[in-house]
Amino acid sequence: MAISTITGASTGSTGTVITTGSSAAVTQSMLGTNVAGNGPAFSAYAGSATTLTNGAYTKVTFDTEEFDTNNNFASSRFTPTVAGYYQFISNIAFAGSVTSEAVIALYKNGSIYKYGIDMQASGIVMFQGTFLAYANGTTDYFEIYVYQNSSRSSVASSSQTYFQGAMVRSA
Amino acid sequence: MTLYEKIISLYPELATYNFATGAITLQNDSDGKGDYIAKWEHPTLVKPTEEQLQGVA
Repeated sequence: MAISTITGASTGSTGTVITTGSSAAVTQSMLGTNVAGNGPAFSAYAGSATTLTNGAYTKVTFDTEEFDTNNNFASSRFTPTVAGYYQFISNIAFAGSVTSEAVIALYKNGSIYKYGIDMQASGIVMFQGTFLAYANGTTDYFEIYVYQNSSRSSVASSSQTYFQGAMVRSA
Repeated sequence: MTLYEKIISLYPELATYNFATGAITLQNDSDGKGDYIAKWEHPTLVKPTEEQLQGVA
């Protein structure tokens, strides 16, 4: 006998039984289309300032975690152990304004993956970048680098200099 | 003198070059090892050697 639906005796509602196969856990691949999962997420901020090199991309330090649900964030680097697509956001504040150009970039595996905002103006005090990237769940890792040429450092602040990310879709 | 300044000293024509999104990328991984040339794909200027960079006053 095969069972396809179960009717709730108390509510009279109907539902569908989902089997997990040989595993007791529901995995990302079992989720239906447009269903948000329970993938890794993190938020970290700069508890200390990063000295930014003129004319170069400098890795920004985010040394204080607010949350790291899967223990995938360490040394200002996010290395997700679950394959999938991740949304990132990073906000950077400068100690003193940048007077010519500042760029924020998401680095993947040690090199530039995507540029964020490239501001060419006087008086840049804070800017932000958002990114979407695929991670293989093993070797891929992500970091934030900033380019500027006004001898500025980042500001140590939980609300102004931070790096956050979360899985938005499974692989 | 920073790496950027040394490169400009060796190649003054790069003073107005776009180091943010151009063919040359300088990088610092905040690991205490300092700045380095992460990418040098300039069409005409040759990547300076360590000796050339160290020789810049």
